[in-house]
Amino acid sequence: MNIEEQVRDILARITRVDKNIITREATFKEIKADSLDVVQALVAVEETFGIEIPDEEAQKFQNFGDFVCYVENRVAQKERA
Amino acid sequence: MSLKGKLALVTGSGRGIGRAIALKLASQGADIIVDYFRHRESAEQTAKDIEALGVKAEVVRANVGDAAKIDELFDMIGNKFGHLDILINNAASGVGRPLADIDVKAWEWTMDINARALLLCAQRAAKLMEGRGGKIVSMSSLGSRFVLPNYTVVGVSKAALEALTRYLAIELAPRGICVNAVAASAVETEALKFYFKEGLAKDSRQATPAGRMVTPEDVANVVAFLCSEEAFMIRGQIIVIDGGTSIGLLAFAGKGE
Repeated sequence: MNIEEQVRDILARITRVDKNIITREATFKEIKADSLDVVQALVAVEETFGIEIPDEEAQKFQNFGDFVCYVENRVAQKERA
Repeated sequence: MSLKGKLALVTGSGRGIGRAIALKLASQGADIIVDYFRHRESAEQTAKDIEALGVKAEVVRANVGDAAKIDELFDMIGNKFGHLDILINNAASGVGRPLADIDVKAWEWTMDINARALLLCAQRAAKLMEGRGGKIVSMSSLGSRFVLPNYTVVGVSKAALEALTRYLAIELAPRGICVNAVAASAVETEALKFYFKEGLAKDSRQATPAGRMVTPEDVANVVAFLCSEEAFMIRGQIIVIDGGTSIGLLAFAGKGE
């Protein structure tokens, strides 16, 4: 399972929405993720991939695609280090 | 009051009240374990500021809402330091919603971080304080006894924390551990701006007989006193820090209109 699919699974589990709704263009609002859902998703993703996502960065995510891109970049950085 | 040579864990001390407490205890000579959850850079800055005071700082990440992370945190303290003198149970979170919108997830998130964490941290801290005594101080809130807008689940969690403080105070007293809490009214922090917008801060200033809002340093001063030997006979108490707000509610109702 690639990073995008894993992040989508985590978000779907927390928000209890159908995974098909979580497209790369979907906003957190469209996914029906409230602020607590987002924090819990961030924590779950951090633990899954062994990375940290500062709140300041998370606030810049416009949609699910931004979230996935950030995670992919951090994981790549970690692997290079 | 000197805390020279003491080791203090301050949960949630990257920012706000926790940071002010960490710096105050450090200024009195204590080495500090800076725990954070979401803001590493802030925690690292707090640690730098602590070290500038001539004491040691250790930064560690732990979500105190997660029992396994609390175990990891105290395993680290046990392995690295072998003891603990002061536990400041400061980390808090909450979901600001009307009563009708509080679901199980919001309830558990808030209760686990604000109330259960005190139980689990105190259990582990007491073992590290064995034979040497210690101090445990928690952050409560006036919302434990007064009704604030959209504050239900946080208020309830703080009421649980206060009750737990009393039970811990009695059970841990024979082991030389003093357990208390402080309950501040609205404190000027980033969290306050995040959760309540500017309106509450303005209302709080107008409703405070002392003429200004409570600052993180006001809270830190009281916490530092509770951590001192001078406060040895204070047990299981909730010290209110509110500039007179709670006892002046009627006298100040409508002030500023």
